[in-house]
Amino acid sequence: MNSLAMSRLNINSKHGEDPSNDICPVCKSNRYLNPSLQFLINPECYHKMCSTCVDRIFTSGPAACPVPHCGKTLRKKGFHKAFFESLSIEREVDIRRKVASVFNRRQEEFESLRLFNDYLEDVENLVFDLVEGRGKVRQAAEKKLEQYRLGNMKEIEENERTEKEEAEMEKLRETNQKEAARRRRLANQQEELEEKAVVAKAARDTLEQLANDEGHAEEITKRAERIILKGAGPRRRQFEKPVEANGSADGSLTIRGLKKKEAPTKDMPYDPFGGLNVAPTKYVLQKDYESQWLAGVKKNENNHLTGGYSLPEYYGRAMFEAFSGLSVFIEDEKEADPKQSPSAAVATEAAVLAVGVMMEIDDVF
Amino acid sequence: MSEDERYRASTQFRLWSFTLYALHAQRTQTNLNAAARVRAAVRRVREVRRADTPDGGNGNVPSMAPEAETDCLTVEEEKKLIAFYCRQALDLGDFLGLGNEVKATAVQYIKRFYVTNSVMTYSPADILKTALFFATKTENHYFRLTKFAEKLPNTKAEDILALEFLLTQGLRFTFDVRHPYRALEGAVMELLAIANHDVPLLPGVEGAYPPKPHNMQNRVFAVHSNARQYLKISALLTDVYFHFTPSQIMMASLLIADSSLTEWFISSKFPSTAEAEEVKLKILATITSCADMLREVNPIRSKEEIDLERSQMKPLGKKLNKCRNPEKMDLVALQKSKREGDGGVDEKVIKKRKMEKEKFAKEGEDLFGPGLKGS
Repeated sequence: MNSLAMSRLNINSKHGEDPSNDICPVCKSNRYLNPSLQFLINPECYHKMCSTCVDRIFTSGPAACPVPHCGKTLRKKGFHKAFFESLSIEREVDIRRKVASVFNRRQEEFESLRLFNDYLEDVENLVFDLVEGRGKVRQAAEKKLEQYRLGNMKEIEENERTEKEEAEMEKLRETNQKEAARRRRLANQQEELEEKAVVAKAARDTLEQLANDEGHAEEITKRAERIILKGAGPRRRQFEKPVEANGSADGSLTIRGLKKKEAPTKDMPYDPFGGLNVAPTKYVLQKDYESQWLAGVKKNENNHLTGGYSLPEYYGRAMFEAFSGLSVFIEDEKEADPKQSPSAAVATEAAVLAVGVMMEIDDVF
Repeated sequence: MSEDERYRASTQFRLWSFTLYALHAQRTQTNLNAAARVRAAVRRVREVRRADTPDGGNGNVPSMAPEAETDCLTVEEEKKLIAFYCRQALDLGDFLGLGNEVKATAVQYIKRFYVTNSVMTYSPADILKTALFFATKTENHYFRLTKFAEKLPNTKAEDILALEFLLTQGLRFTFDVRHPYRALEGAVMELLAIANHDVPLLPGVEGAYPPKPHNMQNRVFAVHSNARQYLKISALLTDVYFHFTPSQIMMASLLIADSSLTEWFISSKFPSTAEAEEVKLKILATITSCADMLREVNPIRSKEEIDLERSQMKPLGKKLNKCRNPEKMDLVALQKSKREGDGGVDEKVIKKRKMEKEKFAKEGEDLFGPGLKGS
């Protein structure tokens, strides 16, 4: 008996399995009797039971966990097969997955790498509390997670979306690359075949010519070589073209890939003045003005557009010039400018010299 | 960035706007420098000539008689001459069928050039041709150089080109001249829009439309052509471009044509706060002084006036001929000699390179010994 038990243990250890893996803790059914026995767990409490028990207990709706002293309400939907043999690892992975889906901030969102690393550390601490914490510590961690989830719903969703997009993009890129490689391979094969055909044909022609013609044998062989070489040039070029096209397609894809890195702040529309406000302050630009010079232009409606002229452009310019510099007082502003004009107190001679120095121009001749 | 700040960024404001005092000081300085150079040059020429004469320069040669200091032009005389040649430039522009903007730009080039250069050094008769031709280029009005030269008496293409760099240097390489013409069109368009369509006067100000002047539309039409005359002639021949902004010059021309309408227009553009009121008054004062300056030259001249000017110019022209810088008389030759001087250096370089190449080729042959052909 003892030896039997030993041998069984040996067998089990050979399989690398715990003996409890073979017996359902709820109904005590045995793998020995039921080879198709399958164990399921529920991430609520991670208590293991066989699929028959799950069907039996939870088909009619939520029920309490049958393991003594557990008493958690479980649903059939929550049960799944354990991926890892160790249930504590399974649980940690589940927790990590859950946390990662909530704390899914990306590095681009942080001002510096340091801040991002701090954030990662915080998340890791939270995970540790959830996995290893007991009682109040764990409850506090769970509360924190929930609070964060509720508070940052929008950002979380957005990041989820970008992640999904990224994954899709990656997939697309991969398929594209595969397709390109396949096409290249095909083209290579085709080319090889063609080349072979040309060489074969040339050889045949040469033989025929040697047989029929009276020309010099050496010359005929040389001509055949020339024909082969001539054919190779265009073929090679033909072959290069699709590759180039593939390359550019790839290039544009990677650029589109970059776009997903957009900053959290929304992109403003392009402003040619770089944020300068050039709105008129002295007039309100109208859509149309009367002008005696423009009567002829307006009569032939769109003729002026051919030359690239536009009436609104002219209106804007004329109105701008009418008021540009209206309140620029040269007499005052240039007086204040020491380079241009010395103050009246300075003697004329000195003034003349000062200005003269400033404006002296080299003689070209 | 308001309209004014954008004007302050222009070269016309930064380099070519002066106070009355500064412009006068600059012209005085230019005149003094030029006169000193003329005297020095005359002295040098005389010394050379004296050395050339066989009898050692004892004063017997008739051409040596006026040993006295050269009588140079004064600032005022220079100004008169420049004004005369500016008019000449306008007439020449008319003769060549050039556009208004081209003529105006050319005249401003002449005026700007002679702020730092003197008529005694560079003849305005030559400069004005170059200025006109250069203005056709900067104003996008293509004119073939050979045709241009053909139409002018005693002028070859080189004569025009020889002075071009000199002119651009005198302009400090700033070719943008801001004219008040388009500004006038803008103001007239705005006035008509106010008269006929009740357009808003200022951005962000609603309602409170001041009562419009009586018979506004017809007055605007009348003002338009009158103001244009002043801008086409008076604005170019006076110094207003140096002392006022194009907008102010345009307003001044409007003020001459119809003062009450212009005053109404300007005050409509300023809300009735104390600060704006102050600026408005200052603008009105500035424009009035600009208008006074514009009135100095009447756009329409009678025949007597033209004759009077000609008679005044004759003695000035004679005086100018006497005090011209003898070293700068033939600018074409000067430019040619300068260019050939440069060319001489080039030739030397080419020759040197050629010799080096030959030497190199020789050495290259030597490296592997003489050719095997002979053996």
